[in-house]
Amino acid sequence: MMSFIRYFKIVGLLCSFALCANAAQAPQQINISQLSTKVEDVVVPLPNEIFGALNKLGTVNWRAHVRSDKGPNFTERPRIALLLGTVIADGFIAVQAEDAETVKDIGQRVLTLSKGIGVGTSITPHAKAIIEAADKRNWSNVRKELDRTQNSVQQAMNEVHDEKLSQLVSLGGWLRGTEVLTSVVNEHFSSDGAELLHQPDLLTYFQKRLQGMPEFDLPIIHQIQDALVEVKPLIDVGDRQIPPETVKKVNEITTRIGQGIVTKQ
Amino acid sequence: MNRFVKIFVRASALLLILKALQPAIFASVDDAQSFALQAAEPYVKQGFQVREDYWGGDLGSGEKKAVRQQLFKGNEYWFWLGTEVDKAKVSVHVYDSDGKLAEQPDSWEKGHFAAAHVIPKATGSYFIIVSVEQSPDERTHWALVYGFR
Repeated sequence: MMSFIRYFKIVGLLCSFALCANAAQAPQQINISQLSTKVEDVVVPLPNEIFGALNKLGTVNWRAHVRSDKGPNFTERPRIALLLGTVIADGFIAVQAEDAETVKDIGQRVLTLSKGIGVGTSITPHAKAIIEAADKRNWSNVRKELDRTQNSVQQAMNEVHDEKLSQLVSLGGWLRGTEVLTSVVNEHFSSDGAELLHQPDLLTYFQKRLQGMPEFDLPIIHQIQDALVEVKPLIDVGDRQIPPETVKKVNEITTRIGQGIVTKQ
Repeated sequence: MNRFVKIFVRASALLLILKALQPAIFASVDDAQSFALQAAEPYVKQGFQVREDYWGGDLGSGEKKAVRQQLFKGNEYWFWLGTEVDKAKVSVHVYDSDGKLAEQPDSWEKGHFAAAHVIPKATGSYFIIVSVEQSPDERTHWALVYGFR
C-alpha cells in the first residue's frame, strides 16, 4: 500500500512539473566552436557510469574482475591519491559483483589511504556507511557512499589547495574503469561495447592536468603520461568504429599502468 | 533608559537591514545546488543515481555557460538546473559534439528550475548549455547536477 501511495506521489510531482513547465524552446543547432572560450571542465564520470552502460549490453561476470588484495603502503602522496582512485573504482566493481566482504575491505582500505593523504576525518563517516550498507547488502547505498567518498576526498583536498592530488584520484579511478571496460569488451567483443571507449575529451583533460604537475616527478606519473599519448589516437576515431585490436591494445596499456599503480617500484 | 532605547532601536534597525539583505549576502552556489537537487528528487525514486559532483557559478540575465560532459550510449541521463532566486527564469539544454540538440521532448523549464533529459545516441562529448534567461538580481547563482540510470 505504501509503495502504491509513493508511486502516486512521484507521478503527481512529475505531472506538476510537466503541467507547469513551459515547453523548452531551444535552437535545434548551435555553433559549438563559438562556445570554446566559455566551456567548463568536464566532470569525470564515475566508473559506475561505464559499468552501468556495459551491463545493458549483456551479462558481465563481475566477480572475475573483483580485486581485493590490500596492496602496498606508499609514502608519496601522488601515489596514494592514484591508488585511492583505483580502490574506489574497485569498490564499484565489488558492488556490481555483489561481493559484500570485498566491499567492506575496500571501505577500510579507502579510510587508510585517505588518512595517508591527510583527509581521513572527512572520510570516516563514509567508510562506516559503506561497511554498514554492505552488511545489509544495500547496493544502491554502497554506490551512493562510494560516490560521496570520492567527492568528499576531493573537496577536502581542494579546500587545502591540493587540487592536483584530487585530479589524480579521478585519474586513478578512470584508469581502473577503463582497464575493466576493455577487459570485458575484449572477452566478448561488440561494437557498442567498444564505442564506450570513445572518450577523447576526457583523455585531453587528463593530459592537460598531468602537464600541470611537474613537481610530481615520479616514474608512475611519466608512465601514465606516455600511456595517454599511446591511447589517445586509438580512441579518437571520430565516427569510425573502434575495432577489437584497439580494445585489446588499450587493455594491455591500462593493465600495465594499473599494475604500476598498485605495485611498489 | 533613553540610552537603552536608542541602542535597542539601532540594533533592531541593523537586524532589519541584515534580514532584508540576507538573500544577497548569504546566498551561494550551495543554495542553488539545494534547488537543483530538489528538482532531481522525484527522479531518484525512478532509479536515477544523482552524482555528488556538480557544476555551479553565477551568471547575469541573458548570460550562458557551456559545460562539457562525457555521456555513454546505453545510459539515460537527466540534468537538473536550479537557482535560489525564486523570480529568476533558467534553462538547460544539451547538444551533441556537432552542435545538434540532443535532448528528449520531455525536458522542461519551470521558473528557477529546469531539466534536460538525454538518451545518448552515441558515446562521446556533449555540451550542456545553462542560461539565466531573466532575473531580478544582477548576478544569479546557478548549480547543475546530473543523474543517470
